[in-house]
Amino acid sequence: MTTNEDVIRFDRATIHYRDRVALHDITLGIRAGEFIGIIGPNGSGKTTLLKAILGLVPPVSGSVRVFDCACERLRCEHRARIGYLPQKDLVDPHFPITVAEAVMMGRYSSIGLFRYPGKADRAIVSEALTAVNMVAEAGTPLGELSGGQQQRVMIARALAQRPEVLLLDEPTTGIDTPTQHAIMELIRRLHRDLRLTILFVTHDINLISRVADRLILLNTRLFAAGPPSDVLRRDTLAQVYGKDIVVTDHGAAPYVIVGDHHA
Amino acid sequence: MTYEIFTFGFMQRALTASIIIGALCSIIGVFVVLRGLSFIGAGTSHAAFAGVTFGYLTGVSPLGMAVLFGLGTVWIIHGLYQRGIMKLDVSIGMFYTFTMALAILFLGLMGTYNAEVYGFLFGSVLSVTAEDLTVMGWLASGVLALVLLFYKEFHFITFDQAMAEATGIAAGRFFFLLLNLIALTVVVSLKTVGALLVFAMIVIPAASAYQLGRTMLGMMGYAVVFGVGSAVGGVLLSYRFDLPSGATIVLLATALFFVAAALSPKRRTRAIVARP
Ligand SMILES: Nc1ncnc2c1ncn2[C@@H]1O[C@H](COP(=O)(O)OP(=O)(O)OP(=O)(O)O)[C@@H](O)[C@H]1O
Ligand SMILES: [Mg+2]
Repeated sequence: MTTNEDVIRFDRATIHYRDRVALHDITLGIRAGEFIGIIGPNGSGKTTLLKAILGLVPPVSGSVRVFDCACERLRCEHRARIGYLPQKDLVDPHFPITVAEAVMMGRYSSIGLFRYPGKADRAIVSEALTAVNMVAEAGTPLGELSGGQQQRVMIARALAQRPEVLLLDEPTTGIDTPTQHAIMELIRRLHRDLRLTILFVTHDINLISRVADRLILLNTRLFAAGPPSDVLRRDTLAQVYGKDIVVTDHGAAPYVIVGDHHA
Repeated sequence: MTYEIFTFGFMQRALTASIIIGALCSIIGVFVVLRGLSFIGAGTSHAAFAGVTFGYLTGVSPLGMAVLFGLGTVWIIHGLYQRGIMKLDVSIGMFYTFTMALAILFLGLMGTYNAEVYGFLFGSVLSVTAEDLTVMGWLASGVLALVLLFYKEFHFITFDQAMAEATGIAAGRFFFLLLNLIALTVVVSLKTVGALLVFAMIVIPAASAYQLGRTMLGMMGYAVVFGVGSAVGGVLLSYRFDLPSGATIVLLATALFFVAAALSPKRRTRAIVARP
């Protein structure tokens, strides 16, 4: 299941919060340049999986290795190589900060201690802003932007880290449909042009199944991992989402409707 | 008021002291206001005052004891918080009153009335000595040098500590360092504005600047203007009208806050929320 080319490797990893099991016995390998969609109901451990990759929550048993380095020992330099967009972050709308400054924060870790941002860092910031189409707003206070625009800025910050791996936790939740598609298109382009490894957490199964190379279905345990057409089977999904699940063959890709009653 | 007062040694010292603490408190205050740490500064000032009384009681350096008590309280509070034993505001609330009880106890044990001790409680900028100034100058320079050195780390953790951590910044350590710098700032300002009011000097100029600044650096600029302005103005007014200096400084700073709030383009007065 895991090979030497993997940038991220979970080996029988189990993760607890105090007394609650968030992830149990996960074995999973992710190769460089893969676009992975992570799905599962609320509380199924999706966010925890991303935090484990960042080394923010250590496994109680098994191991999590990133860039072939154990997460407990993930030095700060490694984290700088992973761009992370947290799940709906509540930005204090009154914090005095401009869009460009917020994106520059993505550089801080790489700049290192005792040093200040330089010309090269400013160039990277404007490049990142260009990528998300927010150059014109560089000097705008962050709090004056809409939710979708803020989300783009946060993606730009993750890009400014010049990451090899991008972890996106529900980047399209709470955003109108055209903007959702714009963000999705943006992420696809970044994946294609920069050869980033992308882990994309979402509840929108039909949005992700059209773009991901592989889907990962979580519910504390790993229920399935594979190409969307393999994972999106009624019997597989029913184990996690309950019986009220409808999978229709909608042209090439399966279309999934999740019912009200969860397992 | 004539220019003659500027030739008096005590006045020169008082003005130097107010410039130092006006600038220091307002810069640290920007972090305190943005990160929602008002309560911790208030707690530390009582601890530092307990240190002062302990120093006078036992005959060791009151300022040294103030540093020890102030930092000690921050370490314990942070330790409790980090081990998840207590929420930050609860442990601060506890230490706030505990250290005040200690101060009252030490005052009681001293028996005799000691005007100098009460100077630390209410502030006595006009009695600042050359020696005090030297200590204040060194401590203030140390704190400001650290702020300058780690500006971007403090900037990030003030905005979003969890995110700073996720990008590989030692966020927890910088937060702890920030708490220590707040405690040192309190100690530096203790003699000038007094334990009861020092916290106003940290919060009010920064809160005024919050109404006007568009970036954190801009906010610091405004805060220094407000902080130094009210400290220097307060000293001159208190001398001219024979008013208690600490109170005059704080009242002036408060008046400036309302001016800033009235001028605020966004009327952000109500937006300062605690985020412990
Ligand atoms: N900081 C925490 N402390 C204790 N338990 C936690 C913590 N974070 C998550 N959990 C628990 O771990 C489990 C997995 O949570 P996680 O946030 O990874 O789920 P998720 O799949 O991201 O859910 P959602 O779709 O709601 O975002 C849940 O049972 C949750 O209650
Ligand atoms: Mg989540």
